[in-house]
Amino acid sequence: MVKVGFYQGCCFQGQDAHMFETMKEMFKRIDVDVVLLEETTCCGGNTIDEENRKLSYAINARNIALAEKEGLDMLVSCNTCYMVIAKAKRALDTNKKLRDEINELLKEEGLEYKGTSKIYHLLDFFRDVVGYEKIKKAVKRPLKGWKVAAYYGCHVLYPKEIAVDNSDNPSSLQEILKALGAEVIDDYEGKDACCGYHSFYTDKSMTLKKLNRILGGVKKVGADIVATPCPLCFKSFDIYQTNMENPPRVPSSFLPEIMAYAFGIDKDKSGLSHHLIKVEKE
Amino acid sequence: METAVLQVFRYDPEKDQAPYYKEYEVPVEGTLLNALLYIKDNLDPTLAFRAFCRSEVCGSCSMKVNGKTKLACKTPMKELVETWKGKPLRIEPLNHMKVIKDLVVDIDKPIEKMKTLIPWLVPDPRVVPTDPMHESIIYPEEMEAYKDQIHCMLCFSCYSACEAVADNERYRGPFAFSKAYRFQVDRRDIETAKEKRIRYAISGGLWSCVQCQKCLYVCPKGVKPAEDIQNLRGQAVKKGFTDKPGAKKLKHFVDWIYATGQINRLYLPEEVYGNKEAREKLTKAYTEMGVEVWEVPKPTKGLMKFRDIYLEILSKEDKALDLDYSHVRKIDKMVSDIFKADICTIVDKAHEEGRSSRGLISKLKGLLGGQ
Repeated sequence: MVKVGFYQGCCFQGQDAHMFETMKEMFKRIDVDVVLLEETTCCGGNTIDEENRKLSYAINARNIALAEKEGLDMLVSCNTCYMVIAKAKRALDTNKKLRDEINELLKEEGLEYKGTSKIYHLLDFFRDVVGYEKIKKAVKRPLKGWKVAAYYGCHVLYPKEIAVDNSDNPSSLQEILKALGAEVIDDYEGKDACCGYHSFYTDKSMTLKKLNRILGGVKKVGADIVATPCPLCFKSFDIYQTNMENPPRVPSSFLPEIMAYAFGIDKDKSGLSHHLIKVEKE
Repeated sequence: METAVLQVFRYDPEKDQAPYYKEYEVPVEGTLLNALLYIKDNLDPTLAFRAFCRSEVCGSCSMKVNGKTKLACKTPMKELVETWKGKPLRIEPLNHMKVIKDLVVDIDKPIEKMKTLIPWLVPDPRVVPTDPMHESIIYPEEMEAYKDQIHCMLCFSCYSACEAVADNERYRGPFAFSKAYRFQVDRRDIETAKEKRIRYAISGGLWSCVQCQKCLYVCPKGVKPAEDIQNLRGQAVKKGFTDKPGAKKLKHFVDWIYATGQINRLYLPEEVYGNKEAREKLTKAYTEMGVEVWEVPKPTKGLMKFRDIYLEILSKEDKALDLDYSHVRKIDKMVSDIFKADICTIVDKAHEEGRSSRGLISKLKGLLGGQ
């Protein structure tokens, strides 16, 4: 059993708490014990950086320090949280002055950023820690006949310093989906476009244009569903899609949900039946 | 000798009806630029592309390889073959610019766009001596603020890869914002020019950037346009340009994260777009799915100490916004009304009640007689 600290961010708490339960249950099937790092806070969403970058570094030094206190590596699911935390770690690891200054502040809470915990995203955690074979073995209900479009999202591939896969030609998501027994589609118009999640509250028109590109592309190649490891890309596909003038009504899945379903967890508990755009495929 | 096939975009608008691709077999050695020069010298002298310094200085040879922007002189052929696992390499001109011939594009448009952001120094006479015989000194520590931005060599890699340029014709381009930011943090530049740059940046799409980070990835010189754009947004808000949705989103993040350790998606539509129905709609949709709705996030354990760290940094550092304490007090009141306890004690109480957040709320509901 591998034990890892799970960073929830905003996507796995409040009304989205069930997403963590799905995640925990799914991970149990591949012998991973995910421990919720309860005292962590929002990573700042790459928005607090606009207020002050050091604040973003400090918040995330605290988040990482909480995993270090438990002696655990940190697993992040959200692409943006991953990018923001990994960037902060890089800054803290390469800038002693910054690290010392922030550690001085963390002292009050009895915390210290040491740089001992590794930060994983779902994709490299599945590839490097769990292994594709183990995923394959856990499958109880192979996704036979499911045409699944693979969508990575941006913040696991860019910038290069924090990328978890080859930024130009990544393969981990396809490998995971293949292990579930799905027919993977990884070449479609818009596969590299941004999901538009972060511009919904800065320039909404941009979000809708991005969704049109990606979901239009997914529809054109005849995929049944688009799967993404990022809960924000998923929210953009499932929730913001309904804001489009003519929504293509393309169903989507957050990767752990479709994995849970393939591992034999039912549609309701896997979360797949809670989407605004219904997942009809059985 | 190992070879690879390049499928090169060919188009001469004066002769060709439409673009086409021509295949060339090239040695896998040196850089992509070496391969193109090999074609030109040995296979086809009619191929047009821009290149000059061969050493990542002039910024002429950027192009696309299988859709990804690369500076040809910085990209080893071996790396391309490994990345694309033996697949043919499709070489194309940059996006968003008119093709003059083959891989040569017209860069006038992005240059014109850049100029609208005043990417030059407008000297402040109080700082810069008007007498040209007097030096205008810049200290190394001052240069820290723009030491990366000055390396931009106008290769237009970021402009080609940019998600905002793709969907907003007016968007000035990542490099243009970095060029502008470089003078925003120059002590010698006059305040009125800084104010103007912000106005022009806003009308040039400052809030349209989607923060995809592709510009950081493709920049051959380590410039970080998306981060400069964040800095410019911060400056815009600080200078009082707070009417745009993006500024209100920032305020939501600053206040809510301080108050609870989390943002609150239920209140974002209301606080950014004044859309009160969205919260009711979302609540209804969640309830119908059998999902418990939390009007406020569960306050993070250690919240009071987290707040101390937060305030400590904001009190010392240059920031875009001050905390809006009346907003924070409103949030505090919502939290204490829901949890029936004072914000300072609720955190510990909430966490004594149970580990699972769902378990917690049902227990609390039980305690409160199902309120």
